[in-house]
Amino acid sequence: MISPGDVGGDPLTEEIVELTGLLRRVVGRRVRDREAVDDIVQETLARLLAARTRLDGRAIGPYAIVTARNLVKSQWQRADVGKRHEHRLADTRDPVRPDEPLLEQEEAEAIRIALDRLAPRERDVLVAHVVEGRDTGSLADDLASTPGAVAAQLGRSRAKLRVEYILALEGEPPTRQCRPVLLSLSAGDRRRQGELDAGYHLLDCDFCASMSEPLFDRRAKATADEVRIPVTVDADVVVARQRGREVAVQAGFSATEATVIATAISEISRNIVRFARRGEVTVTILTDDGASGVLVVAQDAGPGIPDIDLALQEGHTTYGGLGLGLPGSRRLMDEFEISSEVGRGTTVTMTKWHRR
Amino acid sequence: MFVSILQQGDFLIASIHAALDDSELMRFQKDVMAEIANHRAKGVIIDVAALDVLDSFGSWSLRNLVHMARLRGATTVIVGIQPEVAFSIVELGMELDVTTALDLENGLEYLESVTTGHRAGKSMLGVLGSHDT
Repeated sequence: MISPGDVGGDPLTEEIVELTGLLRRVVGRRVRDREAVDDIVQETLARLLAARTRLDGRAIGPYAIVTARNLVKSQWQRADVGKRHEHRLADTRDPVRPDEPLLEQEEAEAIRIALDRLAPRERDVLVAHVVEGRDTGSLADDLASTPGAVAAQLGRSRAKLRVEYILALEGEPPTRQCRPVLLSLSAGDRRRQGELDAGYHLLDCDFCASMSEPLFDRRAKATADEVRIPVTVDADVVVARQRGREVAVQAGFSATEATVIATAISEISRNIVRFARRGEVTVTILTDDGASGVLVVAQDAGPGIPDIDLALQEGHTTYGGLGLGLPGSRRLMDEFEISSEVGRGTTVTMTKWHRR
Repeated sequence: MFVSILQQGDFLIASIHAALDDSELMRFQKDVMAEIANHRAKGVIIDVAALDVLDSFGSWSLRNLVHMARLRGATTVIVGIQPEVAFSIVELGMELDVTTALDLENGLEYLESVTTGHRAGKSMLGVLGSHDT
């Protein structure tokens, strides 16, 4: 701010400073914003002081007023131009969130680690196909292979990449069993899953149970005539028997037979809830030489049954019930098999065939 | 909640409207016992027509409920067991050991007959296929 004290001495300067009040009125009549008024008055005073050597005493007043008016006018023009061009300044892109670059970096790192873990040959083929866009035919020529074999190899590489990507993000799995199990799930390789007893591992290993979900979905879609119901709480028993009934009806069973199957599923699912921490019931449609049926597999990672003969004995009960769970299910179904290992878990496999 | 317990004169009509899991069945049992006391009910009809499955636990808890209600002075009749469910109960090898009636109407008739001094008791037995009393 320019105030009389700063520029004392020079009479012309003092005269200019005394014009402040007049200028404030002149500008104030044209501009509403008080801060803008102050700015324009200051600017006018600065220009008058700069030009004071060229001014004589009488011209100062009118000169000051004209300068102030011009400044107001040019300020209006600037505001107007600014308004007209405002849309050019709008940034329509989403603002970058502070964590975004970090997440991107983590993802890129995870993909890099996952790619590193592929065998060099696998990686080269995958990159050639996905990044460079080469088709399986031309790749097969290079590798002295067939397009089908290259496609199968690409499928396996992708499955491996998915697993390694998830592991790079989530950290190394707790057991040596985890990686092969996740790989078999990702690849949808049922033979390998069977060899590794992947179903049991998923019940037993919390890490894989949570990791496998994105890999699971693909697999679930692959087969329509199979349902898989995770069983941990009471309500899951109802879900398991209802889904099981639907599958039974789909397999051609009558309402009565479907209810019998649902009852057996209810019994064995209850055992999972009651005795094991976590389990799974799988109901699959079977077809064999024109006959059809359902296969029910209930698997858990619970404490196991020390004496299976006793458990299958009618009236033997652990909670004061009827003691009909396992023996009743055996009676309801055509085939019934139970295997259990203390400390590892129990698997009940039962089948019912459709009588025509 | 998937159950309702309504008063009808001296009787309670407890209906299950959807498949119940084990803990819901236990809660149902408790609720019916409480309502028997609240309404000083002499008879209870339990309508299980909407139950999809009556497995060993379901049958066990219903049987217990009937026995407990009897100890509290209320006669109980189970109505609406679906034919498929009945078949499964027999296949499973269970003795349900409770009084049953085909539907709500027959159940009410039965309760009226037993709570008014067994007047129609003998003729009702054949109709209802009851193995209680």
